Amino acid sequence: MSTPASREALVRRLRDERSGRAARIAGPFTPILLLVVWEVASRSGLLDARFFPPPTSIVGTFADLVAAGTLQTHALATLSRVGVGLVLGAVPGLLLGIALGAVPVLRALFGPIFASLLPIPKIAILPLLLLIFGLGEASKWVIVAIGVFFYVFYNTMGGVLQTQPIYFDVAKSSGAGRWRTWSTVALPAALPSVFTGLKLSVGGAFVIIAASEFVGSRTGIGYLIWSAWGTLSVAKMYVGIVTISLLGYLAGLLVGLLERRLVPWSRQ
Amino acid sequence: MSAPAIDLRGVWKGFHDARRDQTVIAVEDVSFSVGRGEFVCVLGPSGCGKSTLLRILAGLDRQDLGEVAVKGHASVVFQEHGVFPWLSVEDNVGYPLKVRGAGRAERRRRVGPLLELTGLTDFRGAYPHQLSGGMRQRTSVARALADDGEILLMDEPFGALDEQTRLVLQQELLRIWQDSGKSVVFITHSVDEALTLADRVLVMSARPGRILADVPVPFGRPRDILELRRDPRYGEITYELWRLLRQGAATASAGAVPTGPDASPASPAGPPGAPAGRGTPPSPPSEVRTP
Ligand SMILES: Nc1ncnc2c1ncn2[C@@H]1O[C@H](COP(=O)(O)OP(=O)(O)O)[C@@H](O)[C@H]1O
Ligand SMILES: [Mg+2]
Repeated sequence: MSTPASREALVRRLRDERSGRAARIAGPFTPILLLVVWEVASRSGLLDARFFPPPTSIVGTFADLVAAGTLQTHALATLSRVGVGLVLGAVPGLLLGIALGAVPVLRALFGPIFASLLPIPKIAILPLLLLIFGLGEASKWVIVAIGVFFYVFYNTMGGVLQTQPIYFDVAKSSGAGRWRTWSTVALPAALPSVFTGLKLSVGGAFVIIAASEFVGSRTGIGYLIWSAWGTLSVAKMYVGIVTISLLGYLAGLLVGLLERRLVPWSRQ
Repeated sequence: MSAPAIDLRGVWKGFHDARRDQTVIAVEDVSFSVGRGEFVCVLGPSGCGKSTLLRILAGLDRQDLGEVAVKGHASVVFQEHGVFPWLSVEDNVGYPLKVRGAGRAERRRRVGPLLELTGLTDFRGAYPHQLSGGMRQRTSVARALADDGEILLMDEPFGALDEQTRLVLQQELLRIWQDSGKSVVFITHSVDEALTLADRVLVMSARPGRILADVPVPFGRPRDILELRRDPRYGEITYELWRLLRQGAATASAGAVPTGPDASPASPAGPPGAPAGRGTPPSPPSEVRTP
C-alpha cells in the first residue's frame, strides 16, 4: 500500500469518526422508537388501552386540536412563560453565582440565605405568588424564574469555586482588575457548569409551568391536560403530555446547541 | 552598573496550618539581587520554597518579613502553565494585551510575531486541550512575552517536558532573552538546566529555603547548549552544585520541624569562590514592598 493513499484513507476515517454522522443524525429520532414500542404493546393488549391508548389513535385528536388552533395557542402560552421565566431566572442566577463564587465575603454573608430558601418546593409558593401577582402571566414568569434561578445559581457558583486558583493568578499578574477577572476568568471557567444548570433548568421549568397551569390558568399545555382530566378525555390528555415533553425536549436540544457554540473547549 | 532589577533583603515567608497547628517556614532570610538584563536561576529541591519565592517576586503573595524591591512590571510563566482552556492559543497569548484594553487589530499585530517566535503559528486557533504539553508551555511563555514586563519570572516552565523538547525550548528562550534585554529569574530543580541558562545560580537548601550559595556561571554568550556540555568546566560546576545541594539537604534535616525564626539552624556561608551578590552597592529601588 502506498503511503499517501493510506494517509488519505486515515484522514477520511478520522474526519468521519469525528463527526460521528450516523449517530448524530439518528440521535434525535430515537424517541420515536419508544412510540413504536408503545403502539405495539397497546394494540397487543400488553398495556391497558383505556389508560394507554396506542399513539396512532391519539393522532386524530391531535389533528383536531391543531386544526382548531387550540394546541398552538396553548403551546405558545406555555413556551412564552418558560422562555420569559428562564431569562428572568438565569440572568440573576448567573450574576449572583459568579459574585458569590468569586467573593468569599459575599458567600459567607448571603450563602446561608439561598441555602435556606433552596429546599422550599417551588410549587408550594404558587398560591402566594397568585395572591401577589394575580392570575396573569407575571405569576407564571416568577415561579419559573425562581426554579431556574436556583439551578443556575448553584451550578454557576460551584463552577467558579472549582476554578483552579492558577487562573486567577494569571489574571492578576496580567494586571486584570476585579471586573476583568470576573468576565475573563470566573465567567468562562464557570460556563460548563452554567450550562449544566441551564439543562436542569429547562427540565425543571416545564415541570413547574405544567403544575402552575393546572390550577392558576386558563391557557397553556398544563391547563389543556388538567381540563382533559375533567372531561375524562384521555386522548386529549396524551396530546398535552406528548406536546409538553416534545417542547421540553426541543428546548433541551436548543440549550445543547447553544452550549456547543459557547463552550467549544469542553469535550462534548 | 545601574540599579538592580530585583532586590530582596532578609525575606521570610511562612504558612500556618491552623487545623494542624503547624507552621511551615517556606522561605528563610533570603537576600539577593538581580541586575538588569541578567539571567538568574534559582536551583533547589522540590518543596524548598522556590514557587513561594517567585510568587512574592510576582506580587501574588506578600512576604512576612523583609523587603522586596522589583523595578518594573514582572511577567510570569507559572509552573502549572495556567493556559486558559476556554481561549484559543492566539487569545491566550493576547490575554495580557486584552486586559490592558488593546483592540483586536493591535492584539493580532503583536501576537503574530510571538506565535512565530514560539512556533505556534499553525496552532493559533487551537484550544489548549488539542495541544501537546510542550505547545501548552510555549503558549504560556508566549503569553508572558506578550505581557512584556521588564522582568520575566519563570517557575520550572520546562519541568514537565521530555528532554529533547526541553533542550529546544531552552535554546529558544536564550535566543529570545538575548534579543529582549529582559531580566530573568528562572526557577528549576535541574542542575543541568541552571548551568545551561544562567549567568548566576542561586542554590537553595531544602525546606526551609535559604540561599546557600550564589554561583557565577562562566560560560559565554551566545551559548550553544550542546557544545557547553563538552566544556571541562561544565563537569566541575555540576559537581560543585550537587555538593551544595547535598549540603543543603543535610542541614535542613538537622533542623527539622521549624517552629519559628529562632529555631532555624545557622545558615552556612557560601563557598569562598561564590560571593553572595555581585558586590554592587544597591541603589534605592523604585518600588519597595514591605509586609
Ligand atoms: N499556600 C500555601 N499554604 C500552605 N503551605 C504552602 C503554601 N504554598 C506553599 N506551601 C508550603 O511551602 C513549602 C514550599 O512550597 P513551594 O514554594 O511550592 O516549593 P517548591 O516550589 O520549591 O517546590 C512547601 O512545604 C509547601 O507545602
Ligand atoms: Mg514549585
